[in-house]
This record gives sequence, structure tokens and C-alpha cells, in this order.
Amino acid sequence: MRTYRFLHNPAMRTYRLRAVAACALAIISTAALAACGSGDSGGGGGGGQSIQIWEGYTGVEAKTFAKLVAEYDKAHQGVTVSSLFVNNDYTLQKVQTAVAGGTPPDIAYLYGSWAPNVARIPSVVTLTNVVKQPSVDWNDFWVGERDVATVNGRVIGIPALVDNLAVVYNKDLFAKAHLAPPGPDWTWSQFVADAQKLTDPSIKQFGTAYVTPGTEDTVWHWEALLWEAGGGILNSSDTRAAFDSPAGLASLDTLRTMAVTDHSMYLDPTDSAYANLFNSGKIGMLVTGPWDLSAFPNVHYGVQVMPSYPGTDGGHQTISGPDNWVIFNNGSSRVATAEKFLLWLTAPAQVKYFSLHTGDLPTRASVANAAGFDAAMNKSLPGVSTFIDNLGNVHQARPQLASYPQISQAIGTMVVSVLLGKASPAAALATAAAKVNQILAGAGSN
Amino acid sequence: MAATTLSAGASRARSGTRRLRRAESLTGWAFVTPATVIIGTFGAAPIIWSLVISFQNNNGLSSVARFVGLRNYEAIRHDPVVTQAIGHTLVYTALFVPGTMLTGLFLAIAMNRKLRFMWLYRTAAYATMAISTISEALVFIWLFDPSYGIVNYFFSLLGLPQQQFLNSPSEALYVIVVMTIWGWSGFAVVIYLAALQGIPPDLTEAAAIDGCGRWAIFRRITLPLLSPASLFLAVWLTINALQLFDEVYLSTQGGPLGATTVLVYYLYQQAFVNFNFGYASAIAYLLFVVILIVTAIQFRVGRRFTYYRS
Repeated sequence: MRTYRFLHNPAMRTYRLRAVAACALAIISTAALAACGSGDSGGGGGGGQSIQIWEGYTGVEAKTFAKLVAEYDKAHQGVTVSSLFVNNDYTLQKVQTAVAGGTPPDIAYLYGSWAPNVARIPSVVTLTNVVKQPSVDWNDFWVGERDVATVNGRVIGIPALVDNLAVVYNKDLFAKAHLAPPGPDWTWSQFVADAQKLTDPSIKQFGTAYVTPGTEDTVWHWEALLWEAGGGILNSSDTRAAFDSPAGLASLDTLRTMAVTDHSMYLDPTDSAYANLFNSGKIGMLVTGPWDLSAFPNVHYGVQVMPSYPGTDGGHQTISGPDNWVIFNNGSSRVATAEKFLLWLTAPAQVKYFSLHTGDLPTRASVANAAGFDAAMNKSLPGVSTFIDNLGNVHQARPQLASYPQISQAIGTMVVSVLLGKASPAAALATAAAKVNQILAGAGSN
Repeated sequence: MAATTLSAGASRARSGTRRLRRAESLTGWAFVTPATVIIGTFGAAPIIWSLVISFQNNNGLSSVARFVGLRNYEAIRHDPVVTQAIGHTLVYTALFVPGTMLTGLFLAIAMNRKLRFMWLYRTAAYATMAISTISEALVFIWLFDPSYGIVNYFFSLLGLPQQQFLNSPSEALYVIVVMTIWGWSGFAVVIYLAALQGIPPDLTEAAAIDGCGRWAIFRRITLPLLSPASLFLAVWLTINALQLFDEVYLSTQGGPLGATTVLVYYLYQQAFVNFNFGYASAIAYLLFVVILIVTAIQFRVGRRFTYYRS
């Protein structure tokens, strides 16, 4: 009964009309939104001269990158390169959504560990022939980078960033413990002995640290050890696990001695605490990458290559986690514009400019080997030159398989179970190898 | 004559009513359409779409997805990690829900009185809801750090053995329980405080005059009158507990050794780390069924203990 009066009140009638109008508006705007999402991917309008790039640079990297882009825009009339900030950790998720909606970016910065899965996206542009051009000088990129940009012989990206692991040590703690600082020929048994001498439970000081969430960060630290001990992750045809070997045992024994026997290793379940502790002078040595150096302003640190296992053919190795620029197909003219821009961005002059301004390692060997480059880099970020030289110790890459994330989880569980003293190295290796073989067998049928 | 006029009048009245009804329903639609469109686009469509995906072998990358029938659901039955994750989720829920409700009830009763600076205490209690999960996780990581944490420091003062907390597969889940109880207690406090203030003082006064002790008043009057709030909290907190993700992602990433891998974290891992979207969607539907069953049980059991004063 109430509604009856409601509708016959003239004021309410206008209200009703307004509501209908609002409803129509809502439908129209939703439709318009949907159209924005799927239809118009031209952006630049016909000329193919406007491209969008997704990157996750912050701070000084963002500033330097913006400068390079502006420079390119200025030199290339009619071409507009617009960049959009996306948190690197989530770029692939966002790219997946954009691909499903039909509007991928023209270029995206994607982690190298995703490469085998990125290669499965249909709109990813194959760059195999592009990088063969002599002007690109593909072999000038480090081998670790080229390996990660290539999936089953197909080049899907151009290296955007390169790094590697080396040992960062606290010079003052070494001096206090009357230890000689590590030299370039040092061994893992020396590392273990130093770690023990640097440990002092009374002041909560540890010789070294290891991250234990069991994620890829746990895994790649161990993979470098495995290679140095002369082992391999998988067999040469990537069909079976190869790490259940004497080398696997030696590498896990090294970790076990420090974590379980000597208690000289701080186990960090969070993947973030270790850096603060090193900067507070609570940790003697860290196996880490150049990105952490700027987090250590309070300590007097040195950098040395990773130790070796004498008696094996591993020598001093390291592992590299390169990232890629990947091009997505938004029509041939935009692909051409994107390729041209990327080749300019990754040419030696721009690589050198970017490294000198950000402290990031150079993605090209010719830049690293140029006279005076090391010294210039070290001035802005002390110790980084060792990481640059260490790029020469990158001989292997992680398996380029779509199932690598699962393999990584099995290895992560193995390493953590040894570090926490829950399994012996031999038993952990056997369990993980069986699991990896199962994953590799299953991947074939998928 | 009279009859025709009557019937003509009746039909006029009828058509008038019809017009009225149509106008009425149009107005109704006008009001609900914007919400329907938004909920339909961002709520219902993904729900249906993920059901479709759960029957596919879908990696979320390539454009082709093969229909595999119930194979994803069968795989769940043979996946030991799913069984473990369900176990962790249920243990977590069984501790978190009563823990949060008791903490909230205790604090609400303590603050349901006239005291100086009460606004300050109430704000402090509710602040746990306003603090972002990231800050919360970071603070708890340091509190429970095995070597440098203040919790182990207090343990050593009390002569208790040092614990590994987040580094121990048998303790990590309980640290997350404590962390989330702290985070959610503010919410429970607000609900309970509102409910406590809705209890008419004449009831408790009458009971006191009749010779009831404080415990008896609490047990016989306060608690039954709080039961609607308790049921609401139990359902709400349970649904949230079954969907636990943020704290795990931020503090342990499911470890150590899978000890804190709860169902939603495993789902995330399958979808966004392993690119098994089909399998992840099937797990999501399993979770949906679990939540549906648990909530139905809560309503059924809860109704028996809930007292509505109307």
C-alpha cells in the first residue's frame, strides 16, 4: 500500500525517471568500459608509432630509465614510448590478464625464471632472427643471459638485467676474529671454518646466513654450490634428476655442517631479515647478489667470489638470475617499433649509461671489459666490480623447463629439510630426486 | 447496464493495477541494476568462469585449454599436499576462531565500564584492525625470531627453553595463529562491546537483587544475550580463517617444509607459481564446498544456542 502512494506522488515519479536514467547510464558506461578493455588496441592510431612498455623500476633506476626513454622519443619524431610501472613480482599475472583481454603491452619486463612459461603465451614475439642481425652482436650478452632468453632454441626476450651470487663479508668482524679476508682462491672448507670462528652465541653473532622459506631463493643458492662441486641439476636431455650424486652430497654436507653441527648459520625463514642483520654487524659472511650492497651502509664490507671445492672440476662458479624484455604482438607495425626501441635500449651505449647511473651490472661483456668501467662502477657502489668480474664465472643456467617451478619446490624442500636437521643429506637427495623424476615424467603427458 | 459499468470499471481498475505493477517493477529494477551489473561482472562472472576452468587443463598462458572432465577433482583426491593443507586449515580455524572470540570477549568486558581514558583503550584495541597485514607480519617475524626475538628473550628470563618458532615445522602454524588472533581481536572487541552495551542494565540489576553472583549473572544473563553476536563472529571469523593467505604469504611462504601451507596458499602456488589454473580452480571449488558445509553446521548448531530478544 505504501508503494502505491509512493508512485503517485509526482515528486517520486521524477525520482523514478531519474532512477531509470541512472540505470541506463550504468549499462551504457559498463558497455563503454568493456569496449575500452577489449576493442581499441591501436592507441597510436594507424601509424604504429606509439608503444607501451611495462617495467618495475623504482628510485634511481626509474629516473635513469625515464631519461633514456625521453631521449629516444626526442630522437625519433613521431614515436611515443610510454612506460607503465608494474611491480615486477606481478607482471606476469597482469600480462596474462591483458593477453586474455586482447590488450597486452608491447614490451614487458619479465623475470628470467618465468621464461619457459612465458614462451607458452601465443602473442609472445619470436626474436630468434632479430638477434641474429650482426648489429645486435648477440654473443656480447653473457652466456647466462642468452640461455635464459632462449627456450627450446627460440629466443623470446632480450636481456634486461643480470646479476650473480658472490660472498659479501664484514671486514671488521674478520679482523676482530684475527682471520685473513677471503682470497680469490678460497675453498668451501675455509668458508665453513671461517664461519665457525665468526660465530659467537654470547653476542648473537653468526658466521653466515641462509634463507629458508623453501622458495626459489633457497634453491638457487644451493644450485651454485652443486655446480661448484661438479654436479648438475638434471641430465643433459632434461629427462631425469642428476643431483642425487657425490656432488649433491658434498654441497648439502657443507650446508649441514654449518646449520646443524656448528650452528654458525643464521636461518632466515622470511627471506628479508638477513640483510638487516648483516648491516647491524651480526653476520660475518653472506652469499648474495649486487642488489643487496646498497642495504649495507653501516658496515665495512668486502666482496669475494664464491669458494670452490678443490679436487672437483667445478672451480669457482656462480649462478645468474637474468631478466628479459619480452615483446608481445599488437600488430606488425607496433612489433617493428618495439623491436627497434629494444635494440636501441640494449645497445652498448645505453647499457653503459644505465649501469653507471644505477649500479646494475652491465648486460653486455663489451661494456664490462671497457677500460675504466670497473673503477667507475666501484666508485658509486663499492664492491660491485667483483660482481662484474664474477659474471665470467657463470657457466650454467637453471633448466629451461615449464615444470621448473615444481622442480624448484622439490629441491627447496630438500635443502630446508637438511638445514633444519629433519633429514640427512643422502635421504633428502633421494627423496627429492624421486619427486623430480616424477614431475619430469608427468610433464611429458601434460 | 449496471453490470457492464461495473465490469468496465473493474477492467479499468485491473489495467490500472497492471500498469502500476509494471511501473513498480521497473523502479525496482532501476534501483538494483547498477549493483547487479557490477556484482555480475566482478563477482558472478568470475565464479562461473572459474567453475568452467576447473574442468580444463588450463595453464593461463596459452590460448587453448583442453576439457578434461573431472580429472582435476580426481587429482585432488590423490594429492597428499591437499590433505595436509586441509589439515593445516582446519587446525588453524579450530584455534583461531575460539581464540579470537575469547580474547575479544575478555577485552570487551574489561572495557565495558566507566573509566578515565577509556576512549584511549578502546582505540588501542581497535587499532589492530587498522594496522596493515604487512606491518603486522613484519613485527611478528621479529618478535618471534629464534635468535633476536623478544619472545625468546622473555622465555630465557623465565628459564624456559629457546624455541625455533617460524623455523620449526611443529611451531610455525601456532605463531601464525597468535599473529592473526592479535590482528582480529579488535574486530571481535567492537562487536562484543556493542552487544554488551545493548544488554539492558535492569536485567542484571534485577538478578543482583535476587541474589545472583557476578559469575551467575555473566553465565545466565550476559552470555545468552551475547549469543547473536557470538554466532555472527563465529561464522564471520570461520569464513575468514578458512581463507587464510596474507599472513602465510608474508611470513613463512607456506614453510618450513610445508607446515603452514593452508588451502588458499596452495591454491595460489598452483595457479600463479606452477601455472595449473585448472587444478587451482578445482581446489577453489573444494574450498567453497568446505566453507558451505562448515557454515551450514554453524548455523544449525548455533541456532540452538542463540537467544534473540525481540
